[in-house]
Amino acid sequence: MKNGASKQITDQTRDSAFLEDVRKTVAGKKILNCIQCGVCAGSCHARFAMDCSPMQIIKMIHLGLKNDVLASSTIWICASCYTCTSRCPQGIDIPLLMSSLKNMAIENKVPAKIPTKPKFHKTFTEIVGKYGRMHEPQLQVALMNKKSPKELFKNARLGMKLWRKGKVKISPSRVNKKSDLEAIFQNALKKEEQK
Amino acid sequence: MYICHCGGNISDTVDVAKVKEAVAKLDGVKIAETYEYMCSKPGQDMIKQHIKDHKLNRVIVASCSPRMHLETFREAAKSAGLNPYLLDMANIREQCSWVHSDKAIATAKAIALISGLVKRARFLEPLEPKSIPLNRDVLVIGGGVAGILTSIELADKGYKVHLVERNPSIGGHMAQLSKTFPTLDCSQCILTPKMVYVSQNPNIDIITMAEPIAIEGSPGNYKVKVKITPRYVDAEKCISCGECARVCPSKKPSKFEEGLTQEKAIYLPFKQAVPNTYLIDKNSCLYFNKGICKVCERFCKGKAIAFNQEEKTIELNVGAIITCTGYQQLSPELSKGIFEGTNVFSPYSFGLHPDIVTNLQFERLMLQGLHRPSNGKPPKKVAFILCVGSRMDRGVNYCCKIGCMNAIKHSLLLLKAFPEAEPWIFYTDIRAHGKGYEEFYLHAREHGVKFIRGRVAEVVPNGDNVIVRAEDTVLGRQVEEPFDLVVLSPALLPNYGSHELAKMLGIDTGPDGFLLERHHKLRPVDTKMEGIYLAGCAVGPKDIRETTIESMATASKVATFLGKDEIAISPEKAQIIGEKCNNCGECIKWCPAKAIVKASKDVTINSISCTGCGICVPRCPTEAIDLKSSTDEQLIGQIEGTAIGEGDQPRILAFLEKTTAYGSADLAGQTRINYVPNVRIISVPSTGRVGLKAVLHGFAAGADGIVFIEGDDSPFREDNVRDHVIELKKELGKYSVESLRLASTTTTLPQYDKVVNLFETFSQRLAKLGRLSDDKRQKIREALGGN
Amino acid sequence: MKYAYFPGCSLESSAKEYEMSFKAVNKVLGIEAVEISDWNCCGSIDAVHAYSPKLSLSLSARNFALAETMNADIVALCSACFFTLSRANKMLREDSKLKGTVDKIINDAGLKFTGEAKVRHYLDVLVNDIGLEKIAQNVKVPLKGLKIVAYYGCLLVRPPQIRSFDDPEHPVSMDKIVEALGAESLDYSDRTRCCGASLVLTDEIVMLEMTKDLLLSAKNIGADCIVTPCPMCHFNLDAKQKDIESHFDLKIDIPILYITQLMGIAFGVDPKELGLNRNVVPVNKVLEKLKTPVQVAPKA
Repeated sequence: MKNGASKQITDQTRDSAFLEDVRKTVAGKKILNCIQCGVCAGSCHARFAMDCSPMQIIKMIHLGLKNDVLASSTIWICASCYTCTSRCPQGIDIPLLMSSLKNMAIENKVPAKIPTKPKFHKTFTEIVGKYGRMHEPQLQVALMNKKSPKELFKNARLGMKLWRKGKVKISPSRVNKKSDLEAIFQNALKKEEQK
Repeated sequence: MYICHCGGNISDTVDVAKVKEAVAKLDGVKIAETYEYMCSKPGQDMIKQHIKDHKLNRVIVASCSPRMHLETFREAAKSAGLNPYLLDMANIREQCSWVHSDKAIATAKAIALISGLVKRARFLEPLEPKSIPLNRDVLVIGGGVAGILTSIELADKGYKVHLVERNPSIGGHMAQLSKTFPTLDCSQCILTPKMVYVSQNPNIDIITMAEPIAIEGSPGNYKVKVKITPRYVDAEKCISCGECARVCPSKKPSKFEEGLTQEKAIYLPFKQAVPNTYLIDKNSCLYFNKGICKVCERFCKGKAIAFNQEEKTIELNVGAIITCTGYQQLSPELSKGIFEGTNVFSPYSFGLHPDIVTNLQFERLMLQGLHRPSNGKPPKKVAFILCVGSRMDRGVNYCCKIGCMNAIKHSLLLLKAFPEAEPWIFYTDIRAHGKGYEEFYLHAREHGVKFIRGRVAEVVPNGDNVIVRAEDTVLGRQVEEPFDLVVLSPALLPNYGSHELAKMLGIDTGPDGFLLERHHKLRPVDTKMEGIYLAGCAVGPKDIRETTIESMATASKVATFLGKDEIAISPEKAQIIGEKCNNCGECIKWCPAKAIVKASKDVTINSISCTGCGICVPRCPTEAIDLKSSTDEQLIGQIEGTAIGEGDQPRILAFLEKTTAYGSADLAGQTRINYVPNVRIISVPSTGRVGLKAVLHGFAAGADGIVFIEGDDSPFREDNVRDHVIELKKELGKYSVESLRLASTTTTLPQYDKVVNLFETFSQRLAKLGRLSDDKRQKIREALGGN
Repeated sequence: MKYAYFPGCSLESSAKEYEMSFKAVNKVLGIEAVEISDWNCCGSIDAVHAYSPKLSLSLSARNFALAETMNADIVALCSACFFTLSRANKMLREDSKLKGTVDKIINDAGLKFTGEAKVRHYLDVLVNDIGLEKIAQNVKVPLKGLKIVAYYGCLLVRPPQIRSFDDPEHPVSMDKIVEALGAESLDYSDRTRCCGASLVLTDEIVMLEMTKDLLLSAKNIGADCIVTPCPMCHFNLDAKQKDIESHFDLKIDIPILYITQLMGIAFGVDPKELGLNRNVVPVNKVLEKLKTPVQVAPKA
């Protein structure tokens, strides 16, 4: 299967195992209930930035178009605002579905259409792993495109502005019981790899 | 004793000669014959001749399923002078020769089945069907188009009809409509002549402001109590001059106008109301609230105002009841009450802008001179939004059926009124299912109605106009457009009070909440209770044409039911044996037809309401109930005869409820599916009839396993069957009979594979368990009092 | 009534003024909110969940375990934390298999939880536990003349399947508070439109577009300021306002206040205590409009 949108739907481009994998996830349980009404697409506040609508993603899952789904920008752009789910006639948890699809994309080594996002998830989690809480400056620095002088300057300016307002905590806030963190991270992530 | 070859259908697998030989030796068998086709004229003639010549007093025909030819053979017996209930049939085709291949085994099974029926035959009694006179009057509940048309059909056929309507006028929702699709007939123009006809027809008695509150009796003879709410206006004296309304100082929103306009506290529901009588709304009347005013009384030309009118209760005696209670539209209040506090109208901002209305309100707007409620100006750009609250998990699951066609109709009428108008329809699927509907849809497209395929995401008030947002799923682009007027298509629900009414009548409601018909395809206007019928949207959302068809159908069914003037009651009913009955009343709660009552001291069974299911029989602690055609001796006789046999194979007695479950087994036979031959089926009115006594006799006589199969449309429901079997297992435990020796299921008619599957798996289970041990069997025999 | 206060990571840094004004308002209204000792990151449904769902739930679970020892409802200020914790709570209560998995993960750390602790947002507490009457009674500086847009954001009220202290389409709780304080709450049609917070670090352009719409529609109806209960939304509307102005070549200049800051002003609390000088878009404009103007010297 090639990366990117498949031109035709044939038994060569469909992967029914993909549908079954999605159905095994918490959000994907009811995925076949979708009648493709489009209320999710109509409600989506980030739709303008997506290549496919949430409705189309679900249709592609129905048909097992694995690569189309995992290579889309949709799964990365979803802002988890939950407008879609609150109006979906079948109550499908679409942001949670998108989150699971992000997992699958990473597992299947499909390059993310928005490369900053998987980096964001990984970095955020690593920082929380270190301190038990988020440390915004570290996250900002890690994600910044250090090769772009324009962006460096912009971020520096924002940083200064916030610093002057007392909104920047230089030393990270920490959780005292580090052992708790170690245990949780080890157990949760270990089991992930075991799969 | 007659054994049919059935042209090889039986004789190819069952050795009929051997069967004849074995059966001839049975006690009481005088004649044993085989024949090619028993149901043919010569076959029947043979039976008749033998009855006359040999003075036979019992006849068993071993052939196809009794569901095929029982009536045929019984008629033959009757014409020969033998009471038809003294003839019975053994099913050795659908339940034997068609489903087994081993000749020896099939023959042995046939012999066993027949011997069961021969033993039962000894205890058959001559029975006479009873006839009781019927009341030829009919009660129609609900005066909408369904109730109106049903009443007219019946009145024209010569029946007297009581048309009971709880609103002040008949007409229902159809009276509110402007035009009907697809012909664009004026709704009131086609309805009001019918309304007038109903009011003038001497066979129809319209009772408005009325609701049934209690029902007693049985099919053909019902007593219905009807409560009548006062109008506070004397109907005899009111001349509908309207003076009262002119001078009344108090206003309230008009229900007929869907709250769009106000009317006075004393009002006529609408101009063409039938009866054309005014009434006072107690809640908004100054006299009832504050004890002042009474201006209407002063100005009433007919001196018809009657503030001291009281609620009345009347009693109607009728033979049949027809429920035509119609529908109600989903509203925000209803929504919050039904869908766990969710208001499905919320995303559409219904109630937050005057130019967001429902389709029913749009109907009224069209008749008021189509305008925008906000400023009275003509609407130029109108959005029609379908499926509000419909096809939803947190709403109603089902489709409202008429939303699409209504929106198309509204679009075309809008264009007719304002040729420059721009109607847009936002849909998920266009359902144009009826006659002329697809053409109507084409017509709309040709006239430039815009169709956007996408469920609307939100409707946002925007000062003077209203914005609609959706995705055009065909193009994959979001749509955001301003509109002058937005028309919502809300889900349709069963009318309020219909659940309570169903309970009162003893009929069921379906999973969608609407009243349940007897059979989805073949009995769409009957209910599970004889004498109670349905028509119209009370059964489910539909258009006027379908309602008309149902009204005609229901009138026809009622006419058939009442037309004979007498109702022939099958004699296969339960009776109380007076000497044995101690009036404990235990049976009363078990009867699904509510046929057992305790009047002062004595417990009696109404033989008309009784459906002969037999559930009461084994539950009577003093064995005081006798069910004709399934007496204890008949049942036990059949069990003993059927359980005979030789060999080590475990023997299974399968008690099948005689209509659906038995029919399902027959269907298995018709498909020639092969299954284990050690299952022997005994037909019973209901598996609830088979109690501990019969089961013990089964084990005593040689059975090793017992199966119950009930039809899932039976009043003895799945949970009843389960509890019944659990109780039996407990009791059997006292005899150390393993609980695995009992199994049960319920089935629908076409699910014969479920039946066969149960036979197969149960048989495998018993093969592992082995036969019931001899000493256990002996213990049971002793407990039953010797062999 | 005691509450187990869950701050969330941004309350200590970029949303410091929210916590400050929260504490000030609590003092006035007599609300006892005790910070959950040694709390950790909520589990972030957006950030962590996509990396590892089990980790996300386990982080939430640790917070429940800590809160349950306090025998009080959990109160969150950040809408995203509120949603993360609410959903984790629901998922773990309803799916026993999932709970079993998470139990095993956190038991090694000696933690146990039942999922009994209720998760609530501060707005819910204000409107339903304290009540509008009490809020109105404590107003010393009625906010008469102020035209305010109450912006709720998305995760505060959606999805209704998880919690429903206010209508997901037309919420009113914050509007009611604004009115109880004496100000006019404008009829704002974008009150639950998403600001794009989860995209601010990864797809800034999209987020700018989303927040721009919110700011413009508020400006169009003549808002003096926007109040919000969520630190993520506040950051986008406030700290990024200049970026939006320059990217789209617009002039917006609308101060963004936390609802607690607005309440604090109305209660007559010292502006320093409310952290008013920390808001990026200067709030002086708003204060000058009041009948009894309150001054605050901006910090730099």
